[in-house]
Amino acid sequence: MKEPDKTDDTSDDGRLAERARQLFDESVRELDAETLSRLNRSRHNALAELKSGSTDLRWLRWTPAAAVAAAAVAAVVVWRAPDLDQLPSDVASDFEMLLAEEELEMLEDLEFYRWLALDETAEETGADDHVG
Amino acid sequence: MSAIAASFAVSSAHNTNTGVGALQRERELNRFLMDVEKRALRIAEISVRDRDDAMDIVQDAMIKLARKYSNRGASEWPPLFYRILQNGVRDWHRRRSVRNRVIAWIGGAAGDDEAPDPIAAAADPDGRTPEQQLQSREAMQSLERALRVLPLRQREAFMLRTFEGLDVAATALAMSCTEGSVKTHYSRAVHALRESLGDHWQ
Repeated sequence: MKEPDKTDDTSDDGRLAERARQLFDESVRELDAETLSRLNRSRHNALAELKSGSTDLRWLRWTPAAAVAAAAVAAVVVWRAPDLDQLPSDVASDFEMLLAEEELEMLEDLEFYRWLALDETAEETGADDHVG
Repeated sequence: MSAIAASFAVSSAHNTNTGVGALQRERELNRFLMDVEKRALRIAEISVRDRDDAMDIVQDAMIKLARKYSNRGASEWPPLFYRILQNGVRDWHRRRSVRNRVIAWIGGAAGDDEAPDPIAAAADPDGRTPEQQLQSREAMQSLERALRVLPLRQREAFMLRTFEGLDVAATALAMSCTEGSVKTHYSRAVHALRESLGDHWQ
C-alpha cells in the first residue's frame, strides 16, 4: 500500500530494510483463506460498532462473569491463606489485572483453579480418613 | 490537531447524523481497515507468536478505532490504529507475564501454551519455485526471531517504519514518543538486526 520511507536510508541499512519489507509483504500475501475470512469478520464486527452507536454497554455482558471470576479467585486466595505470607507483593494487584474487562482467558483458567482446589482438598481429606 | 483536521472532524461529526455521512464514513473506514488488516495481523503475530491472539488484538484495535476515532479524519487513522494495536500487544505481554506469575503462585504448571504456527501450504502468488519459497520463509523466520529479541520500542519503530511504511511523524504518534526517539529506536533496531542476521541474510 505505502511506499517505504527512504529519508534516512543509508546503503546497508536501506538494503536490510528493503529486504525485510519484501519478506514481510510475501508473508502477508501468503496468509491463508481461513485467516483472511476471520479478518473479514473482524472488520465487519468493527464496522457494526458504527451502527450500534457510541454507547458502550458491552461491559454489562461480562458483569456476571466477572463477578463469578472474582468470587472464584477470592476463594482460591482464601484457600491458600496459609501461604499468604509468601504472596509476592505484586500478585494481589495481578488478580485485579486478571479480572480486567474482557479477560476471558481468566474464565477458562477458572476451571483449572477449581479443579486444583478440589483436588488438593480431596487429598487432604483422604489422607485424614486413612490415618489410623 | 491542525485547524484543517479539526474542521474535518467537526464536519464528519455533523455528517454522522445524516444517513449519507454515516454511509460514507463506514465506507472509508472499511477501506482503511481492509488496507491495514493483513499487515496489522502479521505485525501483531510477530510480537506475540500466536495467530489467534494476534487476531484478537487486531479485532480489538479495529473495534476501538471504530468506536472512538471514526469521527477523526481518515489521515489520522493509521497512527491511531497502530497506537491502539501496539497498546494491545503491550497489554498482551503484561497479562501473559502476570498470568504466569499467578498460576505459578497457585501451584499449577504454567505450561507452554504457545501453539506452533504452521504456515499453510499454498500456491505461490509470485510464481516462485518451492526452493525459493522455502528460502524466503526461512529468511522471514530468521528476521522474526531477530525482531523478537529486540527491545520492544526498537521492534515497534522498525515494524511501523519498515513494514507499515509510516513516516517518522506518524510513527511517533503511534508510539506516543518524539520523532527523535523514533529515529533513535529505528537506527538501533537496524544495526542490531544487521548484527544478528549477518551480511549473508541480505
